Amino acid sequence: MNLNEIYTTALNNVLDEMRKVCPDIQHAFVYNQSGEIIAGSADTPQKVMARVVDAFDDIFERAEAIGGVEAVTLNGSMGTVKLYNFNGHYFIMVYSAKADVGYVDTIVRVLVPTVLKVLEKLSPTPLKNEIPPPQPKQLPMEDSTATGIPTEVPVEELKLELEEAKPPPAPEPEPFHEPLPPIEVPAVQLIVENIGGLLVPSDTVRVDSETLANWENAFEGKKIEYVEIETFDGKTARYKVKPIKDSKYAGKGIVQIPEKAQLALEIKKGELVKVKPVIE
Amino acid sequence: MTKKKKALEEQAVAAEPVAVAIGEATGTDQLKASLEEIKGYEGVIGYILRNSTSAAIDLKDPSKLIEYAILSSSALEAGEELSEIFNLGQVKNILVEGKEVKVLSLTVDDNKISIFAEKNADLEKVLKKLGQF
Repeated sequence: MNLNEIYTTALNNVLDEMRKVCPDIQHAFVYNQSGEIIAGSADTPQKVMARVVDAFDDIFERAEAIGGVEAVTLNGSMGTVKLYNFNGHYFIMVYSAKADVGYVDTIVRVLVPTVLKVLEKLSPTPLKNEIPPPQPKQLPMEDSTATGIPTEVPVEELKLELEEAKPPPAPEPEPFHEPLPPIEVPAVQLIVENIGGLLVPSDTVRVDSETLANWENAFEGKKIEYVEIETFDGKTARYKVKPIKDSKYAGKGIVQIPEKAQLALEIKKGELVKVKPVIE
Repeated sequence: MTKKKKALEEQAVAAEPVAVAIGEATGTDQLKASLEEIKGYEGVIGYILRNSTSAAIDLKDPSKLIEYAILSSSALEAGEELSEIFNLGQVKNILVEGKEVKVLSLTVDDNKISIFAEKNADLEKVLKKLGQF
């Protein structure tokens, strides 16, 4: 079990426990600053989660004036949506109208930071779309999206599991003299955004320059010219890639896709797609 | 018969704008008066009131007026979107809590209201006051 899986399992357990404590929680999921869904109940479809992330993103973009967002509460006549920001981990809870929101609120504010603190202590690695350094051995592609039934792992056992999961100390890397074997870089999940302007090439998508730099580092400085985009419906296509120009999308976990490409992939703004670099 | 009907239509047409105008003026004026009172509550730093014909803004720090106005608008739009996604019915209010300031946004008839307050301000009294509309 790698670190992301440990995070996902722990957070899924937290959500599970929350729902046991308060059965009036209808939906619950967690995403990070890149918009990547880390944990979530199986009964909340990916598309719904992506729409919610997109809706909150509009608030985050404008919240600098109030010092960034710590929490958002939407009270509707038939229920409540609550977003909690715990150090870049966004917890979304949707309650029915009869839920004791104050009670759940107290539990969330005590339980979640404690679990996150434990996880941070176990592994200071932040949970985000990080590209691991190239490994001589080919790794399977990982999908950190958790929509399946969460595995029951008590938080107390996580430390033990983490120690088991820790790789043995890596020996000093030796320089490669042979041509490198193909390196599999995990796909990152990004939110689809439109590309504005005239004469937009339909074969080019735009990805955050930081993500591109991470990929290039992973491939020892090799320029990333193409990416493969995979939708959650299983459609894939290859596009040229360039860095995002608009600074407002920097670090937001966005992939700008031309309208024609969106039509071809049957996706639209706000949806999540998997993007991975293609090295030829 | 036709003449009578025409006369009734004319009467209705003539009466309608007057009634609407009076109703709107009274409602919005009362709302403005309440917001002025709310502005005096502890921790409240201002408000924005917008409707299809006018806007009233009163903030202690006018330098952030545009940012606050955009945030208020985004919060209300996001509220509508989220309510639609989760089928939450009519949006009562949306509270955005920032590290320094919190914003309570709600809609009363045609009026979109946002109250800006310090992080630790108690907004229960504000909600109670606005609940009468």
